[in-house]
Amino acid sequence: MSAKIELLLSRPNRIYRPSEPLEGKIVVKSASSISHYGIRIALNGSVTLQVRGGSAGVIESLYGVLKPITILNRIIEIKPSGKIVSGTTEIPFSVTLRNPKEDNLERFYETFHGTDISIQYLATVDIMRGYLHKSLSATVEFIVESDKADLLNQPVSPEMVIFYITQDTQRHPILPELKSGGFRITGRISTQCPMLEPLGGELTVEASALPICSIDIHLLRVESVLLGEKIITETSLIQTTQIADGDVCRNMTLPIYVILPRLLTCPTVLAGPFSIEFKVAIVINFQSELSRLHPKLDPLTPRLWMAMETLPLELVRTRIKSQ
Amino acid sequence: MEFRPRNYIAADQSHALPRSRADIHPLSSPSPQPILRQVDDSAENRTTEEFFDPLRAPDSNPSVEIVDENDFERSSNGIDDSVQVQMKEWTSFKRLLMQRFPVSKTISVSSMSNTILRSEKAHEKSSSSTHLDDPQKSSEESTNVITRQEYVSRLHELKDEINRAWHSEDRVKSLKLSIKVARLLMDTSVLNFYPTLFVLVTDVLDMLGDMVWERIRQKAEFAEDGARFCSLRAENFGASDVPTDAKETCYNWFCKVGTIRELLPRIYLELAIFPCWRFLIEQPAESLQRLVMMTRGLADPLASAYCRLYIAHRAQKLPSHDTAHLITCVNDIKLIFTRISSTKETAHGGFADSKRPLVSLMEPSVEFIMKCILNDASPKRVNRVLVELGIWRSQEELFGGLPCVSIVLHHLLKELPTDVVCSHAVDILHLIKCSNDNSYDQYLNYRLVGLRLSEQISQIATVDAIINEVIQVVSEYGLDEYLKVVDAYLDIVLQNQMDDHLKTILECISKLASDKVLAEDELSSLQSILVKLLSHFKDLEHLFSLNHFLPILDMMHGSSRSIVNMHILDMATRNGYIHDPTTIQLLFEISQALHSDTDLVNMKHDDNQQQARLISRFVRMVDHGAAYEQHLAFLVECRGAFGNIIELKEILVHSSNCLATKALKDGKNHNDFVKSCIAFSEVTIPSIPGHIKQLNLYLETAEVALLGGLVSHSDGLIDSAISCLQSSDSMEGSRTVDSDGTLSSIRKLCSLLIMVPGNTEVGILHIPKSILSIIHSRSWSPRLRARLFCAIISLSATLSQERLPYHADHPEIMGNDLLFFGDSSYVPELLSLTESVLQNLVDIIEQESSRAARGSMSLEACNCIASSLKINEHVLPICSKLLETAKSCLNANDKYLTSTISFLDKNLHAATVPSSIAI
Repeated sequence: MSAKIELLLSRPNRIYRPSEPLEGKIVVKSASSISHYGIRIALNGSVTLQVRGGSAGVIESLYGVLKPITILNRIIEIKPSGKIVSGTTEIPFSVTLRNPKEDNLERFYETFHGTDISIQYLATVDIMRGYLHKSLSATVEFIVESDKADLLNQPVSPEMVIFYITQDTQRHPILPELKSGGFRITGRISTQCPMLEPLGGELTVEASALPICSIDIHLLRVESVLLGEKIITETSLIQTTQIADGDVCRNMTLPIYVILPRLLTCPTVLAGPFSIEFKVAIVINFQSELSRLHPKLDPLTPRLWMAMETLPLELVRTRIKSQ
Repeated sequence: MEFRPRNYIAADQSHALPRSRADIHPLSSPSPQPILRQVDDSAENRTTEEFFDPLRAPDSNPSVEIVDENDFERSSNGIDDSVQVQMKEWTSFKRLLMQRFPVSKTISVSSMSNTILRSEKAHEKSSSSTHLDDPQKSSEESTNVITRQEYVSRLHELKDEINRAWHSEDRVKSLKLSIKVARLLMDTSVLNFYPTLFVLVTDVLDMLGDMVWERIRQKAEFAEDGARFCSLRAENFGASDVPTDAKETCYNWFCKVGTIRELLPRIYLELAIFPCWRFLIEQPAESLQRLVMMTRGLADPLASAYCRLYIAHRAQKLPSHDTAHLITCVNDIKLIFTRISSTKETAHGGFADSKRPLVSLMEPSVEFIMKCILNDASPKRVNRVLVELGIWRSQEELFGGLPCVSIVLHHLLKELPTDVVCSHAVDILHLIKCSNDNSYDQYLNYRLVGLRLSEQISQIATVDAIINEVIQVVSEYGLDEYLKVVDAYLDIVLQNQMDDHLKTILECISKLASDKVLAEDELSSLQSILVKLLSHFKDLEHLFSLNHFLPILDMMHGSSRSIVNMHILDMATRNGYIHDPTTIQLLFEISQALHSDTDLVNMKHDDNQQQARLISRFVRMVDHGAAYEQHLAFLVECRGAFGNIIELKEILVHSSNCLATKALKDGKNHNDFVKSCIAFSEVTIPSIPGHIKQLNLYLETAEVALLGGLVSHSDGLIDSAISCLQSSDSMEGSRTVDSDGTLSSIRKLCSLLIMVPGNTEVGILHIPKSILSIIHSRSWSPRLRARLFCAIISLSATLSQERLPYHADHPEIMGNDLLFFGDSSYVPELLSLTESVLQNLVDIIEQESSRAARGSMSLEACNCIASSLKINEHVLPICSKLLETAKSCLNANDKYLTSTISFLDKNLHAATVPSSIAI
């Protein structure tokens, strides 16, 4: 004779803003009636920081997980002690996320799952049943997006940056034939991008001495954690999007169109103890015998047959989805 | 027993219908309703029996069906129709695409495609493919070879798997597998297999796209508890009608697809779910432009061409028919072709050869996109399209002389509305002239314009300029190209009576083709040209007199020549008799050529029936007029030349008999000529297989001999006919006997015998007795035998008459009525024969097993007896017995039965009044 408990949120996508109440229902399915000492919902939001590599030294790495930063920690009683009848019982609830007494507005960071930094919000329901019975509980993650009222008021006109990629802009050694023959790839790309809009831009191969193998757009996250007095920064790859496959026609404009992956991105955060920033890298791979000898490498390591340009990318939450 | 005396003249007069003149042919189509009605009325007045005219249709109302059709058309929705038409077009396009390029049995699969090879190593793979975005390990350099069939069936398996996963709620798996499938299209090394691969892969993607569309539509239309809260009609809903939840799901799909690393599968997957943009944005067509631009990133020309093809296909799913993206597609493709043909110049020889197959593999894409662009385009839009494609500089300055990639130009010309082609033909020709690259043969574009112009020759404004230009262009061509282009313009030349040009063309052809064995292609073009000439000139003699026509005809050989010859023969024999000796000689030679080209093959073959029929018809239509001897000589020549056409030999016999008859009718003394004709027929008949055929021809010839007063000839011919009959069963015993044919032939023989003077040397009943013995010796059906007995009875009865119903139309031949007038043994001999036959008749009817057949046979016999013999005490019992049999077998109300009874009654009444001589 077991009872099942489920926590259902009102929105299928589970996205809530700090000013909005978290609504839903607790569904209890039980063959017999259950007496309890109260039904509670615990809301928990925290930033988990971890140091694994990047610029962290050996000693720092040993610490591993740092103490998480709490954003939200509240327990709300939904029902006082009583009895739940047998069968299926639905208990609706509605709890505010922001405690109006506290001014913790800026601390409601958006949900983010990175390598070193993770921002997560959980709702847990507990039915307390005293010593004799294990309490029934269920947990769901809900996703927090910035409050409408908190949004930047500035109109977001996608800020475009013009780039030139030539043999002379490269900071790493390149193949001699590339160096001498030269290449020129130009274009523009937005460096400030609303979360719900694709990262846009365009790119043109104007000239290239060697045939091109592939052109990719890498979306990178830069996570920085303050450890003592040291800032440990790690840059990692979120997503690669190929925009050219093979030796494309010269002087033909190719669009850059990258849909930002959900959860893996969030608006750029610059908090005290940590920061989450993003970058976009345009990487050109030239056809070369050498590249065949080194298959499957970290796409970000500069190589002789590669040319690249890395640009900062600010992600923002805009008021209206402009689509 | 006694024969019934007959007065044929009186009977003829009393039974003949009054003749009245008809103004309209009763079988001509415009409804001669009143006249038919009139005939109907008079027929009803005359007889009380119902009369069905088999030529008159049963009373039906055809207008009812038409109304139904209209209803059907009205009920079906216009938009659905066009979607269905598009779907059908796509299906047939796919089928053609798969058939168009021959594929070798095995396909080498590069490492990229281990999706296909997965069936063997399913277990290893399943664990490693947990990531949505999982580029295959490129380190595996080995290529694997699998058969085409395996590849195809593996793809079908994958499709099933995707479908299964979807329906078991594992949509992520369906998506992952679909991405793998789409990734297969990255491998263009399979070349000729690529179109098939494209069809198979897009089938899978279309399915996925439809499933996603359906899911989101349901999410939009129904709340979670199943209640319907809005309805999205497929044609006209906007993104604003779609609830947020559905939008959310939809956007998730685009996000998922957006995370695919490689460009090609990402584009394909977005295209698969492309119609779903309608849930999100009001103007989804704008995204098409982006996808077209993204496709530019695919450097492989083949992959990018097919990707554009898929864009064109998926864009059809949108309600708006904007073509801007397609124009960009075509312009991008033009660039690719320019790039391909420019590398050709620099590349070494072997590389250049591989360009052609590549271009032709890309062609379907250009073809389909062009079709989409110009499908039902208004004249205004056509103009805009031409400007956007860079063909026209502007709306005012048409055809600016800029070259266009010729393969693109080809498909543009194919799809342009005819009136645009017609009104700008000269400009188009100039455009072709300056568009001479390697992507398509220039002459084929010239040819295409000709064919397009021929669709509406009357609309062409500047015929002279066009033809002059074309004649000038082709004058530098070799034979094959010359023929192909000229063929396309020939109708224009002919219809505009440009005789000078025609002359030039024929001259040029004969110059180019002389001293040359024509190849298959050249022959078929030449065939088309000659057939066009033939159908244009109504008059064969005019055609033969055209300069170079006959020499060109002589250059041809093989099946093309046969086809042209057949057309000539067909034309020659269609307009009545052929009189001109030169034409006859020419046609004879043509027939000979046709015959010698075909007789190597078995003449029984169906394909050659046509040739045999045409030659036979020609022989039949030849008419030398009064030059009978010459005509007969022609027939003799034909018999020698076309020995193995059976059909023709029959015609030869008919013709020679006809010739003899004509000569006889001329009245002059043609006795020897008639004899030669009959001799010709007599010699020809035995070589015709089929005894019944021979029999009939002998009888026909015998009749002609009688007409010519050649009694001994006709006796001989009748003997031959009888021996034919005798040998018929022994030869054709195995096959079922054509009883109707046999019956009518023997009946005809019997009726002929009325005219043939009885031969007293062998006995006057020698021939009927031979027939009887044949009847007895054969295992023919009782029905056939009964009827034949009836025929003998009728023959005897007729011969017994004092005045025969007809005589041989020759003054020297005496009829049997005169020959045996007053011969006391004549009638008794006939009667005794009749008596024995009568007994046979009654016996054979008893043998018939089927009741219905027995009944009708009895009635037939009864009628025959009643009209041949007087009904007296000898005959009446037989008739009664037969009637009893009929009554026992048939319904009492049977019309045949009742009319037979009344006929018998009438005759019985007549017979009893005057007492007559009995035997």
